[in-house]
Formats: sequence, structure tokens, C-alpha cells
Amino acid sequence: MGGESGVLTILGGLLGLAISAGFLGALSGLGGGVFIVPGLVIFAQVPMHVAVGASLISVVATSAGASVAFVRDGWTNVRLAIILECATVTGALLGAYLAGIIPGRALEILFALMMLQSAYFAMTQRGDEIVTSSDPLCTRLRLDGEIPQDNAPPVHYGVVNLPIGAVLMVVAGLMSGLLGVGGGALKVTAMDHYMRLPLKVSSATSNFMIGVTAGAGAIVFLARGDIATSVAGPVALGVTAGALIGSRILPYAQIRPLRMLFVAIITLIAIEMGWRAFMGI
Amino acid sequence: MQSLRTADEENRILRHWTPLILRSILITAMAFLVVGLTLAATRSPGYYVGRFRLVQSGKTIHAATNWAGLTTGAAHGDPRAVMTLGLVVLTLVPIARVAFTFVLFVKERDAVFVMATAYVLAGLIAGILLGRIG
Repeated sequence: MGGESGVLTILGGLLGLAISAGFLGALSGLGGGVFIVPGLVIFAQVPMHVAVGASLISVVATSAGASVAFVRDGWTNVRLAIILECATVTGALLGAYLAGIIPGRALEILFALMMLQSAYFAMTQRGDEIVTSSDPLCTRLRLDGEIPQDNAPPVHYGVVNLPIGAVLMVVAGLMSGLLGVGGGALKVTAMDHYMRLPLKVSSATSNFMIGVTAGAGAIVFLARGDIATSVAGPVALGVTAGALIGSRILPYAQIRPLRMLFVAIITLIAIEMGWRAFMGI
Repeated sequence: MQSLRTADEENRILRHWTPLILRSILITAMAFLVVGLTLAATRSPGYYVGRFRLVQSGKTIHAATNWAGLTTGAAHGDPRAVMTLGLVVLTLVPIARVAFTFVLFVKERDAVFVMATAYVLAGLIAGILLGRIG
């Protein structure tokens, strides 16, 4: 296959795959990276390192796109994001460096394990109990914020347990740089469960931080020459478009049945990737 | 060190300028990618297919990363250079956003946040060096 028909088949295939991944990522709240990396490895048959590099670039784009509305509407806690980004960037740089050393098969196994962990997080019911005042460290850093309300005064919330959150953010950054995902599931869990932030603030702040986390990894890949333009270009475009469509549909979607469907899809993909890695396919 | 702005003023600046920075760079990067892909599909389809097959086979994927070659190539309508430029612009999104907050906190004389943003900015720039030696 070559020439014009070949290029249209490849571009159409990559764009279709990327739009689907961005769409599923936005609807599930797990981000496009969780779907595009296995999609590229299994369907486009590109090596794991190439899939990770392309995914990191697309995660930067989707994070920027989604953050516009969240920051403008006041859902993102920018001060908290900046403090936690110190931890995620450290982890992401280490992860991206290690990704250049660790064999592709080992990365595929790690990816499969990470997907199973994401499925577990997706099934776990999160509470939305907030604290009204911050602990001394978070008070000193002025990390508390306000939840915007439609026709009422904003609701004040506090932040606690910053050190625990920071440690989990290093792990999230490491996963991001190593596996090409945003690490949103772990970030949201850290902020929601341990730092006691409201769920939507956790999601918005996590999404905002993902851009810097994935950006740190993407810069390492780009500087190393490990980004395949022929793959990353259409993937970045497609995932961004898919995420945009997904975020428009999200308010009208039935979240609970969707979440169960995604858990099933993610588990199947994790098994497939783990099987391929073990069998050396 | 005491902050010079109120929390409300800081919020207003962040909520106005951050989305503007994110959106402008994202649109620029996407425009480069659309032009690059269109050029690849129309001008040199055989070359694109060849590159993709090479990537699939696990052989070299090293893209042009020197600025002179990249800008010259893009100016001459080289699809790969235009797309790579789009990807480079995309990686500027986090750098620009963090640089903006760094300047904001320097103006506010908020020492802790100046150090935090400087650390993140240094980390992003260190990524370039890490990639070069990795």
C-alpha cells in the first residue's frame, strides 16, 4: 500500500482511533491516554514507545482544551495545582527518562497493571464531604478556595494533608512520563480522598495539572527525537477533537451505566495488553 | 513575604489570562498540525506512508529537532517540519502557562509561589536536557 490511497487509509485510521480515544476518555473522565496507547499498539501496530510519545503530546492538548472553561468558571484551584505540580513534574521527568531505558514489553505489562488500577478507581464510590477550614500548612499557603454556585454565593472549602497529596502526585507523574497517560485517576483520588477537596474541584485541578505533567514527559520525548511525527500529529488532532465532542455530550450522559461499561472495556484492554506482552506479540 | 494583591485580584487575573494563553497556543498548534497533515496527504503521500511503515517496523523515528532545519523546512512547505513545529508549539502550552504564573507571583512578591513556579519551569526546561542526554 502506498501513495494517495495509502496515506488516506493511514491518516483516516489514526484520526478515527484518536477521535474515539478522546471521546471515550472525556466521557469516562480517565483521559484519552488510557485508550489511545493500547489503541495504537493493538490496532495501528506501532511500538509501545511511539504510542507513549504520541499519547503524551495529545494529553497536553486535551488538558489545555478542557482547562479553558474550568479555569474561567472558577473550578480550578490554581494555587494548589502549582504546589502539586512541583511533585508531578519531578515524577514525570523521572518516568520519561526511564521510559527510554525500560524495554517495550515491560512497559506494556506496567500499562496493563495501570489500567486495572484505573478500573478499580472508576468503580470506587467517592464521597463529596468537604472540610470548611484548611490545616495550618495549607492555610499558610492560602490553598483554600470557593465552589462557584449558579444563583447563590460561592461555598468555601478547605484543603488538608498536602504532604500525602504531594507523595501521590510524584507517583502520578512517574506513571505519566513512563506510560504516556495523564495520571488523572490517581490525581483525583489523592485530592478527593486525602486532601478532601470537592470532587469537581479535584477533577478540574487534576485536568489543569495534567498539561504540565504530560508536558514535562513530552518535552523529554521530543528532545530525545522519540516523537514520531507521522503518528503524533494525527493523534494529537484526533484526540483533541474527540475530547471536545465527548465533553459536549457528557452533561446529558447517564454516568453510572457508562462507568460500568468503561470498567469492562478497560479490563478487557488490560488483559489483551498483558497477554500480548507475555506472549511477545 | 506578604502578597501585594488581594486573593480576589489574583483570581481575576488568573481566570482571565490563563484561558487566553491556553487557547491561543492550542489553536496555533492545531493550525500547524492541520496544515502539516494536509500537505502530507496532498504533496508527499508516498513519503508519509514510508515514514509510517518505518515507525511500525520499530526502526528509526528520530524527528528533526534543530530549530534552523525545522523553520526552513516549514517555510518550504515540508509536511514533516510543519507538523513537528505544531508539536513543538503544543509543548509550549505548559511552559507559557507556568511562566505566566511565575511573572504574576514575582509581581505579587509571593516568595513561596515564586519558588514553586520557578521549580516547575526549571523542571520543564530540564526535560529538554534530559531528552538530549537520554
